[in-house]
Amino acid sequence: MGGSLRWTEFRLLLPVLLLVPLGFVLAHIGQVGLAETGPLAIPLAYLGLVLAAHLLLRGLGQRGDPFLLPIVAAMGGIGLIILGRLPQDLAGLDALGLGMAPTQLLWFGLGLVVMVGVAVGLRDDGFLRHYKYSWGLFGAVLLVATLIIGSEVNGARLWIFVGPIGFQPSELIKIVLAIFLAGYLAETRAVLSQATVKIGPLKVPPLPYLLPMLVIFGFVMAVVVVSRDLGTALLFFGVFLTMLFVATGRRSYVLFGFLLFFGGSVLAYFLFAHVRVRVDAWLNPWADPADGGYQIIQALYAFARGGVFGEGLGQGIPLINGHTPVPAMHNDFIFAAVGEDLGFIGASAVLALAALLVFRGLRVAIGAGDDFRALLAVGLTASLGLQILIITAGNLKLIPLTGVTFPFLSYGGSSLLASFAIVGVLLAISHRSSSTP
Amino acid sequence: MIAGQVRRLGSALLVGFAVVVGGLGFWQVVAAESLNTRPDNPAVLAALRSQPRGTIFDATGVALARTTVANGLAQRAYSDPAFAHLVGYASLRYGLSGIEAAWDDVLNGFTDPNPLHQWLNDILGRPPTQYDLTLTLDRRLQDYAAAQLGTSVGAIVAIDPATGQVLAMTSTPSFDASGFTGDPGSAAAAWDLIAAQPNDPFVDRARNGVYVPGSIMKVATAAIGLDSGAVTTDTTFPTQPEEEINGMYVDGFLITEHDLNGLTPGLWDMSEAMQVSSNIYFAHVGLEIGQERYLSGAEALGFCAPWRIGPRDHGLSGVASSVTELTDAGCGPFVDDAELASASFGQGRVTASPLMMALLTAAVANGGVLPDPFVVRDIRPASAQNGPLDEIVESFAPGDGTRVMSAQTADSVRALMVDAVHGPLGAPYAGAANVALYGISGVETAGKTGTAQRGGNLPPHSWFIGFVPAGPDGSPAIAVAVIVEGAGPGSQSAAPIGGRVMAEWLRLAGGG
Repeated sequence: MGGSLRWTEFRLLLPVLLLVPLGFVLAHIGQVGLAETGPLAIPLAYLGLVLAAHLLLRGLGQRGDPFLLPIVAAMGGIGLIILGRLPQDLAGLDALGLGMAPTQLLWFGLGLVVMVGVAVGLRDDGFLRHYKYSWGLFGAVLLVATLIIGSEVNGARLWIFVGPIGFQPSELIKIVLAIFLAGYLAETRAVLSQATVKIGPLKVPPLPYLLPMLVIFGFVMAVVVVSRDLGTALLFFGVFLTMLFVATGRRSYVLFGFLLFFGGSVLAYFLFAHVRVRVDAWLNPWADPADGGYQIIQALYAFARGGVFGEGLGQGIPLINGHTPVPAMHNDFIFAAVGEDLGFIGASAVLALAALLVFRGLRVAIGAGDDFRALLAVGLTASLGLQILIITAGNLKLIPLTGVTFPFLSYGGSSLLASFAIVGVLLAISHRSSSTP
Repeated sequence: MIAGQVRRLGSALLVGFAVVVGGLGFWQVVAAESLNTRPDNPAVLAALRSQPRGTIFDATGVALARTTVANGLAQRAYSDPAFAHLVGYASLRYGLSGIEAAWDDVLNGFTDPNPLHQWLNDILGRPPTQYDLTLTLDRRLQDYAAAQLGTSVGAIVAIDPATGQVLAMTSTPSFDASGFTGDPGSAAAAWDLIAAQPNDPFVDRARNGVYVPGSIMKVATAAIGLDSGAVTTDTTFPTQPEEEINGMYVDGFLITEHDLNGLTPGLWDMSEAMQVSSNIYFAHVGLEIGQERYLSGAEALGFCAPWRIGPRDHGLSGVASSVTELTDAGCGPFVDDAELASASFGQGRVTASPLMMALLTAAVANGGVLPDPFVVRDIRPASAQNGPLDEIVESFAPGDGTRVMSAQTADSVRALMVDAVHGPLGAPYAGAANVALYGISGVETAGKTGTAQRGGNLPPHSWFIGFVPAGPDGSPAIAVAVIVEGAGPGSQSAAPIGGRVMAEWLRLAGGG
């Protein structure tokens, strides 16, 4: 079994390892308009890192899902190519002065290390499930810490700086939240599925079990209010609701949860100016094209430029009058750059990759053979899937725009490390299920 | 047991991805075209700064608007102020107008006339190819017409009645747009200088000027009256001779005749009334027609709705003319018969643009069929030379036109207009438009003057409409409408201008 898995992963990796470096070269040609390969350091390093991760996993006897690494390697590769054709000082001057794409490659490599480490190291998940309340507390502390000592970037309080190095705690909280909920729900799902208390027409679980739910809801709303970040709140809440649904099978919880969130959002719309600005810009960006609606309008223009087939890799407009066509094109709006370069066909393919990742993750959950591990896999997979849906739908004006990253594509260390850690966990869970008959 | 829920979650997420792909398809496929050509799209603006743009040629191949790219900056230059309003301008700072606006996507290559080209350009990522336009207008006639107006304020529209090709369309005062279509940095000064001049040079009086038509409206009234059967050319009104002197009361409102210059009124038929330009006679005709029939007749002639000058979807608009109060839904009802009677001889709330009157005249000349006006003759690949290329991508054939009166009515009105120029009573008025006076012999001229009263002590606007050759078996080559603001009676200013412009065209067309 192990031998065949190794070959499956390698066979799946092969096209990725051929096409992504080719993509780097094509993007370079598209950018400079000359038939030359351009610097090969980044594609070669990418190739080496992915290959090393593959060999390490298999060499250390990891028998996790063979689809996961090829999928995320492809997504990460596309992200690196896109970041490479954007102005390299877009994210500000980083500590090493490398430029955006090399820095991202560094994080990509670190992410692979984290992924392999988690996949191999998480042989025993006892410390995750047994200390669920400690994890929950840890998440809460992180959240509170962000709200208190966090720094505002672009109007959202999302960052904690330790010296010159900043990280986004929400990426970590996302994982911790899934661990806590998996532990909590695995233990209580039997009770939660049997609603006993009636409040009006709604059947709800007994109070001692309901309370933690409401506490989580309160926390999520606190994120909206204090961090000014609707996207992260929606993501946390979405993860919470999906795990609750999978654990209990009760749609009414999901419905009730969405109603709560919707109500809270409506309240936030009337209470907070920044929420109002975002929502108004979503409803009619052309009412304020120079300010509130600017970002989304420019994103739509970038998508439209791509058309069906795209401008070609590396051939999206890098700068218009000294600015990127869309502000934050390297993180929140990287999908717009993908759409510009690769068109409807290419962007749909990236979404198909993301969907495939989600389905492999859910498959891992189904085969997990244990409630805790299944719920953990569901929560982490849902966090990736929902995050991708939230940011792409926001980019496309399907929902109000929110500032979350596109996992594996967006520029940023926190997002990459967290996303790879999640894949590591999924690898570990699928390893256990493939090794225990 | 959990597996079922996970599968349902998977389906829900799949729906989510499908929705996002749908959104992607909407913006990248369905809405892409309209987004890519939005004028506020910064990529469009940036590209336009340095992008070449097709040349606009007159019918003889003289460049009217061309772009040169120097130091990465595109400069648009215009060679002839007589075309300023029709050709318009393409300025990064002040936007687009005229043909430059209506044909922007073809001139800058965003829309390819050939769908296959467009598709290949999209697929292969080729840069758009620009196209040149050739107009139906002849620069020689246009310049001649503008020179006739000289420093006066006014407009001239000339149309080939058989095809609808616009031959000349000029408005004074004019302007040179070249000052604000080059470097955006220095555009403001040039623009402000033009905007500060009197009589607003930016207004296109030919298309969008709204004037009281005065007596030229009697041509429309005659056409409506004859076509509806309300009157014939032999109709007389027994009380008319007396009313010429004492005036007539309609709904308590006194209608009086204009100064007949000592002429003794008789019992006039329609031809005599047209020659003398009798207000009383045409007030009677209007009352015979009645409010509703007059209104629907005027609408059929093209009043009450904006014009579109073709070809096809690249239309230029022209302001709506009106016989009553104009609303969004068209002409409102007549308030009373006094308003109807006044409208019938071109006063009251009647308004007309020079374009409207030129087209009405063309319909009479064309046997009752109002031709579809158009200003662009063909599209050619962009030429780097001074003249147009021989290769034609698309050429525009005349439209079918619209029948607005019977051929018999048109011929009767033609005869009335010929009488107005050549008849003994008409000669003192529209006789000044006879092309024989301007070197063209053996050709009958049809015409009608108008003197649009403006109230107060303001001098009236001077109008003329007419066409040549206007004989019973002639095939008219040109129909014109001329207005000169504040220039007094039509016979003194607009009629000779109209005559000269028509004569000049017969010379130009005859000479090749």
